[in-house]
Amino acid sequence: MPLFSETGSTTILEPLPFADWQQRPAWPAVSLANTDPVEDLAPHVGRLRLIVLSFPKFSDGRAYSQARLLRGRLGYTGELRATGGVLQDQLPFMLRCGFDSFESDQKGFGEALAKTRTLFSVVYQPAEDDRATASLLRLSRRNVHPAV
Amino acid sequence: MAKNLSGDLSVASANRLVDGVVVFLDDAGQWTTRFELAAVARDKRAGEILLERARAEAFDVIDPFLVAVIEDDDGRFEPISLREKIRVSGLTFDAIAADAVRYA
Amino acid sequence: MPDTHFYQPKHFYQYDDYDRALVGERVEQFRDQVRRRIAGELTEEQFKPLRLTNGLYLQLHAYMLRIAIPYGTLSSRQLRKLADISRKYDRGYGHFTTRQNLQLNWIKLQDAPDALAALADVDMHAIQTSGNCIRNVTADHYAGAAVDEIEDPRIWCEIVRQWSTLHPEFSFLPRKFKIAITGSPNDRAAVRVHDIGLRLWANEAGEVGFEVIVGGGLGRTPMIGKTLREFLPRDELLAYLEATLRVYNRYGRRDNLYKARIKILVHEIGAEKMREEVEAEYAAIKDGALKLPAETIEAIARQFAPPPLPHRPAVVAEVEGLKLEDRDFALWLKSNVAPHRMAGYRIVTASLKPAGAPPGDASAVQMEGVADIADAYSQGEIRVSHEQNLVLPHVAVEDLPAVWRALGRLGFAEANVGKITDIIACPGLDYCALANARSIPVAQRISNHFAELARQHDIGDLKIKISGCINACGHHHVGHIGILGVDKNGVELYQLSLGGDVDFGKTAIGAILGPAVTADKVVEAVDALVHTYLDARSDGERFVDTYRRIGAQPFKERVYAAV
Repeated sequence: MPLFSETGSTTILEPLPFADWQQRPAWPAVSLANTDPVEDLAPHVGRLRLIVLSFPKFSDGRAYSQARLLRGRLGYTGELRATGGVLQDQLPFMLRCGFDSFESDQKGFGEALAKTRTLFSVVYQPAEDDRATASLLRLSRRNVHPAV
Repeated sequence: MAKNLSGDLSVASANRLVDGVVVFLDDAGQWTTRFELAAVARDKRAGEILLERARAEAFDVIDPFLVAVIEDDDGRFEPISLREKIRVSGLTFDAIAADAVRYA
Repeated sequence: MPDTHFYQPKHFYQYDDYDRALVGERVEQFRDQVRRRIAGELTEEQFKPLRLTNGLYLQLHAYMLRIAIPYGTLSSRQLRKLADISRKYDRGYGHFTTRQNLQLNWIKLQDAPDALAALADVDMHAIQTSGNCIRNVTADHYAGAAVDEIEDPRIWCEIVRQWSTLHPEFSFLPRKFKIAITGSPNDRAAVRVHDIGLRLWANEAGEVGFEVIVGGGLGRTPMIGKTLREFLPRDELLAYLEATLRVYNRYGRRDNLYKARIKILVHEIGAEKMREEVEAEYAAIKDGALKLPAETIEAIARQFAPPPLPHRPAVVAEVEGLKLEDRDFALWLKSNVAPHRMAGYRIVTASLKPAGAPPGDASAVQMEGVADIADAYSQGEIRVSHEQNLVLPHVAVEDLPAVWRALGRLGFAEANVGKITDIIACPGLDYCALANARSIPVAQRISNHFAELARQHDIGDLKIKISGCINACGHHHVGHIGILGVDKNGVELYQLSLGGDVDFGKTAIGAILGPAVTADKVVEAVDALVHTYLDARSDGERFVDTYRRIGAQPFKERVYAAV
């Protein structure tokens, strides 16, 4: 399946399924099912270079929560890959949840990825992409121009 | 009196992609909004073939399916289920008109 | 250069450039998705969730566009625009729903992006009015005007609207997710039958916070929500919601569509375990980026400041006189007019249930008529109630006769609010692809049968709610009389249930009376129920009170003798 990322760089490490990886936790690449407990990776995130999260169907959104926990709570900074039902119209959500590589066989996926960050100039909620929310921008604007 | 109550008579229907309008597959394999022009399959096997044809022509329509119909003495067809009757003939009450100030 | 922006009157939430940009960009994103669908680049399966989260359903005869009316609040200009859109892109009428949405029934896919762009012109959208995501947040339709209000719930609805819009983590939930907020002890937002219900209340120290109720809902498995948190500080609302949604997104069932709502998760793991999970997640994020700065809350609250209402007399001779002269006006005052927190003002409900009409429907001309009345008499403001009526929240007592006459000219002055013909009904099999039986024609027959106003007032408060299938869009479970349409071998049958209620503290799911009746017997059955009540009631008892006192048996006997 073709692999995409915004920077064009992805790791070639072979991820182990979670159960196998638990036998070899020194291996830097792991693949999680939606039911695998991401919290268990906490002691290992510094050393992991690839975590693959799966979308059994594009409409199954459990991996979005897993991604946010890995990035936001566990502080994982390596490659976070989406696999399975991965379609271009999910990209705005996936990027915000911290995914940075994508396996997809959808036609035009690469071109869509290149344009995704131009779709929405505003976000309403904090996520894992560190974009300033509308609410924060309003606050700083008010502090520059006190309320009239 | 209906001639055929076996439930084996059927036509292929779908909703048109661009506007959602109810359409039926005619004998020429075209989608038409006119129920009376729908191709009628007279038995189960013919129904399966009709549905296959409908699916092959489904580029501009959504999810074709078979509608069970009955035939009256004059050779006119009508869907059996109320849902499909409503899809053919529209609302069973008068919707309020755009310029109406009162429902009547 | 002239300023072409749309501006709301002062006491409305005003979109700023961020809100406007987001809604506009969403329209353009959808325009591209529609183009790709029509070009064949997207399959229907791939496209469906995209159109649903933009409010577009495929119904029996056409696409249906479900437009959000956040917290049920509309300005007159917005309502005129809705009329305009219904004329230009539809057949010139719309259906107000139980979730404070407006549905247009005859939309074309190719027109949908333009219709959404027209909505965006007046700071409105259809974002997340369908799909497995957080839906339009609903509120008490008397918010900001009610006498019993502790705090305007719309402030919090707007905060939740922003947080939930295009939420990256919660756009593919196991199932749809509905949130309702009330700021009054008399709950008019049905918070116990939502995925999350929030009730603002003041504790002994005088601090205002939320009771958080989770896992209520109607549909296939009706359940009353459980209180997860008695008192949540207001500034931690978003953190608590995010924690709850995260637990649901991770652990909610996805193997069975019918068991995917949060109520099933709460039911299966139990309220106690649910609370533990949510509280643990909440503890981890409560002091993070979701904590609401006081300044942010105040900035939004300011936009919901009550409109400046000039002093108007509380007692008006003309009103008192007309009350004695005109029986219909007197009845209308009793049923369609509610107290306002300012002396000299009232809240008026425009009944969208004139005798024999499809409940909740309004023509373009009627919408414009209501907008005109709102401009003249209600600070340009209109509310949509979950009972499918429109509300004029700020009407001076002095103006009541004029408002009554003006609404009368639109057919919206029927003195039946809360009465037997104020029926809630879903669109049913006439429109809906999911329905098993028709709802509107049944409502019309009941409405015509009980049309006589004096008789309706004698019967008193009685809520009939009709759904055309188990999904319960007509809220039949919580009707004093609930009517559920089912299909049995191609025949429409109607199952009756009694004793449902949405009032806070009394919320109850109705109990099925007995075998379903045929369509032509529904009126006789309801008539028999009413007669049973009239014969058995004691002073001041409503239908549902009598039912609770005497039980189902007398009702049952009379109904099944009649049909």
